[in-house]
Amino acid sequence: MMKKDNTIISDVQAPVVELKHVEKYYGAMHALKDINLSVKKGEVVVLIGPSGSGKSTLCRTINRLENIKSGEILIEGEKLPDGGKELAALRAEIGMVFQSFNLFAHKTILDNVMMGPVEVLHRSKTEVEKEAMELLKRVGVDSQAHKMPSQLSGGQQQRAAIARSLAMHPKVMLFDEPTSALDPEMIQEVLDVMIELANEGMTMIVVTHEMNFARRVANRVVFMADGAIVEENTPDEFFTSPKTERAKEFLESIKGHM
Amino acid sequence: MSRQISVRDALYETPGKNARKIIMASTVISIVAMVLLLCLVIKIFSDNGQLDAKYWSFFMRSTTWRFIGSGLLGTVEASLLAGLTAFSIGFVFMVMRISFYKPLQFIGAACTEFTRGVPTLLFIYFFFLYVPKMGINLPSVWRVALPVAISASGMVSELLRSGVNAVPKGQREAALSLGMRETMVFTKIIFPQALKYIVPALFSDLVIVVKDTTFSYIVNFPDLMQNAKVLISNYDALLSVYLVVAVIYIIINYLLNTISVTMAKRGGKR
Ligand SMILES: Nc1ncnc2c1ncn2[C@@H]1O[C@H](COP(=O)(O)OP(=O)(O)OP(=O)(O)O)[C@@H](O)[C@H]1O
Ligand SMILES: [Mg+2]
Repeated sequence: MMKKDNTIISDVQAPVVELKHVEKYYGAMHALKDINLSVKKGEVVVLIGPSGSGKSTLCRTINRLENIKSGEILIEGEKLPDGGKELAALRAEIGMVFQSFNLFAHKTILDNVMMGPVEVLHRSKTEVEKEAMELLKRVGVDSQAHKMPSQLSGGQQQRAAIARSLAMHPKVMLFDEPTSALDPEMIQEVLDVMIELANEGMTMIVVTHEMNFARRVANRVVFMADGAIVEENTPDEFFTSPKTERAKEFLESIKGHM
Repeated sequence: MSRQISVRDALYETPGKNARKIIMASTVISIVAMVLLLCLVIKIFSDNGQLDAKYWSFFMRSTTWRFIGSGLLGTVEASLLAGLTAFSIGFVFMVMRISFYKPLQFIGAACTEFTRGVPTLLFIYFFFLYVPKMGINLPSVWRVALPVAISASGMVSELLRSGVNAVPKGQREAALSLGMRETMVFTKIIFPQALKYIVPALFSDLVIVVKDTTFSYIVNFPDLMQNAKVLISNYDALLSVYLVVAVIYIIINYLLNTISVTMAKRGGKR
């Protein structure tokens, strides 16, 4: 039950992820309003907020699965490229884990994990396979390596999806509600993998309502409502005595669900 | 989030108890009806003297069957060429339609609608009457295979597009997140899955291609239909020859359908 105070968070380096005055619209709908967020190396930031508050949108703008209207997104101090080869290369360094796993349905678990390093980074197959098997072992699905994704449980699929992201050696991992599509008994096995990652010093941005996860490993909780960041706080303080009314209401509304 | 429903699940529901009873009953009724109809046809035939030996005896000769066989080979050759060509052209149309360039999308859509809307026969006439005038001399098999392929390409393009659209959006997003470029996302992730969805439907569309190759007689390509016409004029036996040829076509298309159904079942198990 150790909190991740053992990792050194450096102040001299540029933040791994930085958002400055980011505005995002879906048509007329103002989805992100003047978002400013900075995530340092080794930090774990939990994004929390009511449904429709823009958590997924925020996550997805970071690797440009969604385009923004104005503002800046910087990865290690570099501006996010507009597209083409440069954007692809940058995305390769940002891991993303989805609510619905999104494992490639026509490939085995092992091939899913190998695909990125082999096809995108052009690394040798034998070398990648060895590493992929180690990763699968680490997340506990090595015995399923040669099965198709649909033959695995949700929890196993999500752990494999995490391994697929890790195979790219990402600078930062984005998690968009990684456990909300899972049956309750599978949630913990996925959280355990994420906790281990956090403790190893991975920089993580995690959209989740799992309070225990936030309390154990998050350096910061970022509370969003109606497309804006309403409160940034330490997990302890956020869950026990939030600063804003909006956060109090929200915590009240999700009590009992956690 | 709800589970992804596959195209197959949405299209074919496993029949329940009542549905099974209805299916059984209608199967029995249709078999009885077909047998009765067959008896009626035979009766009409014999009343009109169509069962006389002169209309059937030449089927005892091996040369007749060799001739029918070579026609069958022609049909198979034209169908395969037309099918593969239709797939290639349809693929190009589909890629244009899903491309990121508006003008290309428009051209793809226009080609799809045009080839779907124009009857095969018009394409046949175009290739038979007009193309040679432009000084282009196609081998006779292509004079039927190419127009049939063009006519089927719009249908194939639509089918391919429906397959591509059926692949869940998350597959593309996951691939992009790994750093793949759009082309790779399409060739490695989207298209293989799309193909898996639609291979059964592609095989059943091949039935239409096979039937369209019967226009061969117009361009004098010796397919099954053309050779049947030769037999008819040689032996003055219209009904018997057409009957035999029809049965052969039914068998070909039944086989294609069986392949399609088997593939659909196998694909569904995944
Ligand atoms: N592709 C889209 N097109 C139009 N509107 C969208 C799109 N995606 C999201 N939105 C809208 O933007 C707002 C923010 O959505 P987002 O998915 O980011 O919220 P969220 O905080 O992740 O919610 P949830 O907890 O339900 O996942 C919502 O009002 C949503 O309806
Ligand atoms: Mg969301």
